[in-house]
Amino acid sequence: MSDVMSLLVGQIVQNRELVPRYFFLMSVKLPESLATPLPGQFVMVRVRDRRDLLLGRPFSIYAFARDKTAPVIELLYRTTGRGTIALSRLKSGEYLEILGPLGHGFDIFPEMKKIVLLAGGIGVVPLSFLASHYRKLPINDRLRIIAYLGAKSADHIVGMDRLQETCTDVKISTDDGSSGYHGFVTELLADDMESYLHGDSVIYACGPPAMMKRLAKLLGDRPISCQVSVEERMACGVGACLGCAIHVKAVGDKTRYRRACQDGPIFDIREIIWN
Amino acid sequence: MKSKTEQINNSEPVVAVDIGGLILKNPVMTASGTFGYGKEYAPYIDLNRLGALIVKGLSLEPRKGNPPPRIMETPCGMLNAIGMENVGVRAFIDEKLPFLRPFDVAIIANIFGETIDEYKKIAAILSAAEGVHGLEINISCPNVKKGGIAFGAHPDTAYEVTGGVKSLTDLPVIVKLTPNAGDIAEIAESVEAAGADAVSLINTLTGMSVDVEQRVPHLKNITGGLSGPAIRPIALSMVWEVVKRVSIPVIGVGGIMDANDVLEFLIVGARAVQIGTASFINPRATLDILEGIDNYLKRHHITDINDLIGTLRDGCPTS
Repeated sequence: MSDVMSLLVGQIVQNRELVPRYFFLMSVKLPESLATPLPGQFVMVRVRDRRDLLLGRPFSIYAFARDKTAPVIELLYRTTGRGTIALSRLKSGEYLEILGPLGHGFDIFPEMKKIVLLAGGIGVVPLSFLASHYRKLPINDRLRIIAYLGAKSADHIVGMDRLQETCTDVKISTDDGSSGYHGFVTELLADDMESYLHGDSVIYACGPPAMMKRLAKLLGDRPISCQVSVEERMACGVGACLGCAIHVKAVGDKTRYRRACQDGPIFDIREIIWN
Repeated sequence: MKSKTEQINNSEPVVAVDIGGLILKNPVMTASGTFGYGKEYAPYIDLNRLGALIVKGLSLEPRKGNPPPRIMETPCGMLNAIGMENVGVRAFIDEKLPFLRPFDVAIIANIFGETIDEYKKIAAILSAAEGVHGLEINISCPNVKKGGIAFGAHPDTAYEVTGGVKSLTDLPVIVKLTPNAGDIAEIAESVEAAGADAVSLINTLTGMSVDVEQRVPHLKNITGGLSGPAIRPIALSMVWEVVKRVSIPVIGVGGIMDANDVLEFLIVGARAVQIGTASFINPRATLDILEGIDNYLKRHHITDINDLIGTLRDGCPTS
């Protein structure tokens, strides 16, 4: 049956080290049956024949193209543990297991004039895909896309080239001041915040929990909507294991857990309880 | 169902098994907590092909579950401390069961209580619901403060829960056993005496993992249940042990990844198996396994899978 989704085998086209032993850019050729991914969706990626590395790893999709030969997805990832390190050692021509695309993408607002992206480190990944998606819409001519990109230091900035192609303006901050603004990326956004409160702007964000928490505080109940992409460890990616719990507000004073994989990974920032 | 001769002529082996009066079309079940409420996997596999679908453990009232992080990968396995998050038995019947009813598959509800009275109430509610074909009593969850393993670790309490549930239902009752108890076979004997129609084993083993840089546990719950191929040899030896001690069907659970793993359990005497963590990695694992079992039976000219169960021979492999 063609409408049945299944685990796909992808072939690595390239797996390039962008920042030594830290950031890698991988492109993977997949079978025709791959559904077209939306910005914000993710895939579970797993090294084949490695039972010691049992689970897939969830990766936001960086870019997608359906070229003449096959669909190709791009993944930009950071090595954080055994699984991602093993992935980083794979060579072009080798095979991977891919499940997806999974989860919900970002909501698209064609009536907006300003698209504001707030990225912390590797959080640039889904936002870069989103920016290129907005650029392909008919509203492109009047659309301003402003990206705020925060990193530890100048040599840890990734995704800059592509953002410069798609965004009207890219503003940089680093924790150590080695490039752009010296401080948190949320402070950079705070300086411009007033200009986004006229009902014609929307904010999208992805980054470490501390950045998201500062952003939530900065936004408060200002009149602007903000969608975030969250990250949590996952086992299945399809909503069954309940491993990827995200703490959210519920009716009244109550709280509950929602699944990053199937209820997200995109949430309204105001729905989430940031610890 | 076709007669046995017809099956042989078509060279399709018989794979149906009898689990305490519940006839399953094949011995492959989904393990509770690894298959959601079934719907989660419907985009990936034809649920009709499963031997049985065991849903996420149900409690009397909805449960929120544990704070994250809830899972961590370990070598050849994973730790989980979900904390029995579930919609509650009533919402299951109203919101989840209607989706499952049209499928031609045995639906088994896994049930969990903090008190014996709760187990009995849940059992009574599910027994009155249309579309539930069996119950699996969870007396083995290691991730909750009350209930679960507190009942499964001692023969007397295991007996009491099983007897209590049996007194309130006509459905076949499976009791899921913990490997974290002293003697799992003693617990199995006790629940058999209390009227259990089958036992399933093993639930997860209690485990732990620490981030050495920050010196903190990887799980918020500190400990979790270990599953995956890392635990399979333990599960297999426990099944082998229990099969010798009880006469009710034994269902093998623990780290099964492929058909070969299933065959190991069947040969030592399990009547059926549950597939858990493997479904996380490949949503189609259950069906791939079924195809592998079929190939094995044909290759070995076994016309009925029941002829394979409990046929472990003496000696060791010869080269």
